[in-house]
Amino acid sequence: MNIYLENVIKEYEGKRIVHIDELHIKNGALYGFVGPNGAGKSTLIKMIAGLEPLNSGNIYYGHKPKSNPPFEIMTLVFQKPYLLRTTVEKNILYPLRLRGWTEKAMEERVTELLKDMGLSEFRNQKSWKLSGGETQKVALARAMSFRPKLLLLDEPTANIDPSTIAIIEKMLRKANQEEKTTVIIITHNLQQAKRLCSDLVFMHRGNAVEHGDVEKVLNHPTHSLTQRFIEGELIVD
Amino acid sequence: MGEIILGIEEAFLLLISFNKEIYGIILLSLYVSLASTFFSTIIAVPIGTALGMRNFKGKGILIRLIYTFMSLPPVIAGLFVFLVIMRKGPLGHLRLSFTPTAMILAQICIVVPIIVGLTYNGVKEKGNTIRDLGKTLGANNRQTLFLLIYEMRIIILAAVIAGFGRAVSEVGAVMIVGGNIKGHTRVMTTYIAMLQNMGDYSKAIAVGIVLLALSFLINGILFNLQQR
Repeated sequence: MNIYLENVIKEYEGKRIVHIDELHIKNGALYGFVGPNGAGKSTLIKMIAGLEPLNSGNIYYGHKPKSNPPFEIMTLVFQKPYLLRTTVEKNILYPLRLRGWTEKAMEERVTELLKDMGLSEFRNQKSWKLSGGETQKVALARAMSFRPKLLLLDEPTANIDPSTIAIIEKMLRKANQEEKTTVIIITHNLQQAKRLCSDLVFMHRGNAVEHGDVEKVLNHPTHSLTQRFIEGELIVD
Repeated sequence: MGEIILGIEEAFLLLISFNKEIYGIILLSLYVSLASTFFSTIIAVPIGTALGMRNFKGKGILIRLIYTFMSLPPVIAGLFVFLVIMRKGPLGHLRLSFTPTAMILAQICIVVPIIVGLTYNGVKEKGNTIRDLGKTLGANNRQTLFLLIYEMRIIILAAVIAGFGRAVSEVGAVMIVGGNIKGHTRVMTTYIAMLQNMGDYSKAIAVGIVLLALSFLINGILFNLQQR
C-alpha cells in the first residue's frame, strides 16, 4: 500500500513531536524507521495506524488518496502487545472472525501461522501463561492472520531472544515477499535494519531527516545527523 | 457460647423444617438483592466504562463524588428513596412505599456507585490499550465495545460481587423503605435486627448463618464465572 504523508504535524502541550513535510512509503517495501529515543517514531507510526490524530497535514493511503485509515486492511503490533484474555488460537482467530472468514479457512490459516511461528504446541495455551517472546509471536501471528496490506510494528524484537527474533524476521520477510504486505518496522538495531529492510527512514526530533534505500542510507548517509547516529550505533555495538 | 451453638443447631432445624415464613424471607432477600445487583450492573457498567475511556471537564469532581457515594450510608440512601416515593413525594402516586420494589430502588442507590467506581478503575487501566487493539485489528465501535467488556469481565464481575455483597448485607435502607412487614417486605437482615431486639438470639444466629451460606453460594457462582 502506498502511503503519502504531507505536512504532518503532531504537538503535545505546545511541543512539536512530529513534523514531516513530505514522505512517500512505497507499496510493497519493507521500511525501517530508525532514530534516537524521542525522535517521534512511535508517535508517527501510531498516526499512520490511525490511533493518534494529526494536528495538521494529511496521510493518504493506497492508490486512491484518502485520509481515513483503512483499518480493515492494515494493523499495528505494539512493542508490548496486549493479548486477549483467552487462548492463543482464539487470539489469532479474532481478526478473522471480524472479517467473516469461514471456519475452514480460519482453521487452515491458524494452523499455518502456528506452525510457521513454532507455536503449534501453544494452540490451546492461555495467553497470560506465555513468555515475552511467545506473546510477541502470537501478536504478530494475529496481525498477519488476515493478510494485511500494511503491517506496522513498533520495536517488535526489543528484549527478545535471538531465536525468536529470527522467526519474527522470517515471518516479516514472508509477509512482505509472498503476501506483498507493505511493512514498516521501528528498530534501534541497525544490523537488523540492514538484513531485513529495503528502505530506511532516519528520524530526529520529529523530522524524517533522511530516507531511501537501506544500503545507501547506511553506507553513504548524506546528512551529518544520520552519519553521527550510525557511528554512535557502531560504537555502542 | 451456648447461644451460638444453639443458633447453629437451630439454623439446620430451620432449613429442614421447610417453614413457609422462613423460606419466604430467604426468597425475598435473594430476589431484592439479586434484582438490585442486576439493575445496578446494567446502569453502572456503561457509566464506569465511559468514565474510564473519556476525558471531559469536571471528570475529577465526578470521580470524587462517585468515590464518596461508594461509602454512602444505607440509611441515607433509604431516607432519600423514602422521601421520593412517600405519599407526598414526587413519585408518591406510584404507591411504592413499603414494597419490595422500593427496597430494590434503595439498594440500587447503594450498589450503583460501587460498581461504577470499580469498573471505572479497571477500564482506566486497560481501556485505551484494548480500544487501540480493537481498532488495529479492524473492529468497529460496537465490536470494540464488546471486546472491551469481554476483556474487562474479571474486573466487572469483581465489581458485581462487591455490589451484591453490599446489597445482601444491607439493613438500614430496606428497613426505612420496606418497613420489615411480615410476609411482605421482611428480609433476612431486617429479620435478624428484629430478632435481636426481641432477645431471640438463637434464631437471629440461625438466620445469620443462612444468610452467610447463601452469600457464600452466590459469590461462589460469580467467582467461578470470573475464573473462566
